[in-house]
Amino acid sequence: MATLTRQDLNFGQVVADILCEFLEVAIHLILYVREVYPSGIFQKRKKYNVPVQMSCHPELNQYIQDTLHCVKPLIEKNEAEKVVVVIMDKEHHPVERFVFEISQPPLLSISSETLLSHVEQLLRAVILKISVCDAVLDNNPPGCTFTVLVHTREAAARNMEKVQVIKDFPWIVADEQEVHMEEAKLIPLKTMTSDILKMQLYVEEKTQKT
Amino acid sequence: NLSSGSDQKMIMLPCKCAPSPEQVQLWLQAKKQYECLQRDKKQT
Repeated sequence: MATLTRQDLNFGQVVADILCEFLEVAIHLILYVREVYPSGIFQKRKKYNVPVQMSCHPELNQYIQDTLHCVKPLIEKNEAEKVVVVIMDKEHHPVERFVFEISQPPLLSISSETLLSHVEQLLRAVILKISVCDAVLDNNPPGCTFTVLVHTREAAARNMEKVQVIKDFPWIVADEQEVHMEEAKLIPLKTMTSDILKMQLYVEEKTQKT
Repeated sequence: NLSSGSDQKMIMLPCKCAPSPEQVQLWLQAKKQYECLQRDKKQT
């Protein structure tokens, strides 16, 4: 077993690849489970060896891909503290927030064989938790939409604004309306700890959604 | 924004909005109609 730093093997990139692939599956599944979009646009697929629901709507899929493409450089540099999927009502007030709290260890003790299978196993458990989370959440009001927030640092955010990873997909600083949620209850869903990544997933749910 | 040291914490989001559920519903209806037409075409 070797001890590696984040610079070795371009480790940040490996983590970002794994995490963004996972976040894509997770976002599709959240949108399906929380009925943000009609169920007819979702198709059953197999990811992490479990069935998941993925959208087949081209524009929505592109939007999710573009969003994650912009988040990826932040994860690569360990500059994304949280990635949050926010479900908003018709008035654009948040009613639910799926918070993916990410932390990456500076030093790694890994072996390549155990690494991927172990991470896949852990991510599968998170996916399974998302797929049953509707049991612990109240129904959302009709006409909800969603957005993705990234918690980062000022320097990284400035860079994000300056260097548009994808043309015509700019990012802005979130305002109070997008961030603030009154009387929210916190529902922990899953915590995973691996050699390369620690992640905590919880939902913040507005008490009175209507 | 939450301040912490010199490099403040910031929350960012895409300027562009995700497709609305109404847009997606319309697309789904059009898709179903198209698939129906294709099926009818094959049968005739």
